[in-house]
Amino acid sequence: MRAYELIRETYFRRSYIWIAHLSWLAVYGVFWWSFVPAKTETMGKFILIGSGLFLALTLSAGILGDDIASGRICVLVTKPFWTGKLYLFRWIGLSLQAAVHLLLTGVLLGVLDLLTPKNSIEGLGVWLLATWLLFNAVAALSTSLSVVLGRAFNSLLLLVVFVAGYLLMNALMVLLRGEAGAGWLTAFVRYAWPPFELLRKFAGGEYGPHALTVGRFSLSHSVACVVHSLVLTCVYGAVGILLLCRRQFSRVRE
Amino acid sequence: MQMRKKTNIWIVVTAAAVIVEVWALYVLGASAARWRPAMIVAEEPAARALYEAMIEAAHQARTLSYRSFCSGPGSGPSAYSVQLKKPNLVRVEMTNGMSTKVTTVVGDGDRLRVFWSGDRPFLKVDDFERNESTQSNVYVDMAGSPAGVADEMARLGVAWSDLVWSPSVFFNGADEFEPHIDGIRLRGTNEASGEECDVIEVSYFKAQRTRHYWLSRKDHLPRRVKEIVRLADTNRVIAEEWARVEVNAAISDERFAWSPPEGFRAWEPPELEDFLLKPGSDAPDFELPSISGDAIRLSDLRDEVVWLCLWQVGSPECREQMRYLQSLHGKTKDKGLAILGVNVADDRRIAQTFVRDEAISFPCVLDSSEGAARLFAEGYGMKSSEGPVNFVIGRDGKIVDAWYGQDSNRAPAALQAAGGQDVDR
Repeated sequence: MRAYELIRETYFRRSYIWIAHLSWLAVYGVFWWSFVPAKTETMGKFILIGSGLFLALTLSAGILGDDIASGRICVLVTKPFWTGKLYLFRWIGLSLQAAVHLLLTGVLLGVLDLLTPKNSIEGLGVWLLATWLLFNAVAALSTSLSVVLGRAFNSLLLLVVFVAGYLLMNALMVLLRGEAGAGWLTAFVRYAWPPFELLRKFAGGEYGPHALTVGRFSLSHSVACVVHSLVLTCVYGAVGILLLCRRQFSRVRE
Repeated sequence: MQMRKKTNIWIVVTAAAVIVEVWALYVLGASAARWRPAMIVAEEPAARALYEAMIEAAHQARTLSYRSFCSGPGSGPSAYSVQLKKPNLVRVEMTNGMSTKVTTVVGDGDRLRVFWSGDRPFLKVDDFERNESTQSNVYVDMAGSPAGVADEMARLGVAWSDLVWSPSVFFNGADEFEPHIDGIRLRGTNEASGEECDVIEVSYFKAQRTRHYWLSRKDHLPRRVKEIVRLADTNRVIAEEWARVEVNAAISDERFAWSPPEGFRAWEPPELEDFLLKPGSDAPDFELPSISGDAIRLSDLRDEVVWLCLWQVGSPECREQMRYLQSLHGKTKDKGLAILGVNVADDRRIAQTFVRDEAISFPCVLDSSEGAARLFAEGYGMKSSEGPVNFVIGRDGKIVDAWYGQDSNRAPAALQAAGGQDVDR
């Protein structure tokens, strides 16, 4: 019962959550209607960037930090309730929220496709799957940060780190091109950060049989992308659960 | 007991996750950017038949016209309108990105004429001063065959992305890289430009280059071509999409005739060779890693005549030149001529495979860093890395001669002038 309550709470935690969902759906519609993307990939990239990353940051802002800061967490975590479950159910709540959002996105784009047959929605399912996987990874990282950062600073920090980090890493990779450190840097960005690049390639069909990109014609590559994304989500989550379980909470507001 | 059981379950779950992740990282780590011997395609007769049908269809056609949209790495797309007519007529109109300016190339056998709608763009062989003084009301009239129109366009740099499918297939009935095909295999069927196509994958130069052709079942000609060139740090991918393909349609000869409007003057673009270090100038010294990992310093060869040759695996001319240099090395080593190969483009494993297969025994620099590229681009004046680039350096460290490609006359003369060996090609 408590699991259900915790999952449900993520939907109604803050009033702006519904505004965020509706805003994104409106943005998809306006984007589709006005900009007429030339390719599915353009649309997919937009969805991926838009909801996989930013929606996750919006929905997970202060997901645990609010409760810790207000002392409410002591009410939520009472014996025999394992503290880690609080993290787990909150994250599942976020994940389900994203799944519903993406299903609605699929329906919306499907309807728009019927109304304006000027584009193709081929491969949309894969884009939505990739978006959901990215959302899960970012949400897990954000929720873990929320354990140690008060209020909504987890999302804010992640956003700043994501943008600044990506720019910095790319600049360093250009500067270190051909040097020994560049390989490690690339590997770090590619495999330790939320798998933005890998999932974009996966969704864009880069690993598909007739991709117009490098294309390896490999099903195992696509499976590996999904597996890595899931494992990374688990690792982010495990760190968060570990941190949460080790913390002593006070009923006093921080 | 319960606790222990839980611990065991967690250990098993963690171990399984680690194993699965190691597998995923292995698969993802063996990225497309990394060349592997497994990329060399094995020959499939059915795929070879489709490839030969494409060559035959192009060769049998009297005229061929199509529109092609090319997109390459880090650049916008180039759009081409190609018209080819036997025996030797060609017209290619191209635009870059969103630009409405059109570059047109017409050829009638021996000459190619290039002209622009409005001012000409900045080309590979340009500098700001030259571009400014020759920007308006000019055309280029140069020697060149219709079959080589794609090479000439690439040499001038008039398009962002090069044509992958060369018109030489239409005129000569041969793919210029055909002798270097490792194998061809089928890649199923797929739709391209609204037509059902057979997809074949062709690997060249031991998979240094891979092309995928989407061949229409209707006329066996491409509707899409994708080329991957595997370089040191990256893959250069060019995709070419064909539309409005017409075979044997009537094309008037007038389409291939062009005379300059009044007020237009012929502009002769500089040769690439004009930018190379001039004889008498000092050859910039360098210390760069060899293909086997040791350091090679140019100044260590000061008491010998040095033939410095920049090469890359994916150029048939370079491969030929390397074979020639190896035979020369066998005859002249320890006789005052040092041959030094330099490769600043290729993936280490690809270059090593070539050197091993060809039993190249003279030293070769292999360095794809920005520094090495800058050294040869700015220090030695290399504007293009297509084909071999040769520098003969005297014992005093000064350039004796420098040239692009294989020139059977210049090498012996340059070596003799440098006080080196008498060599015959």
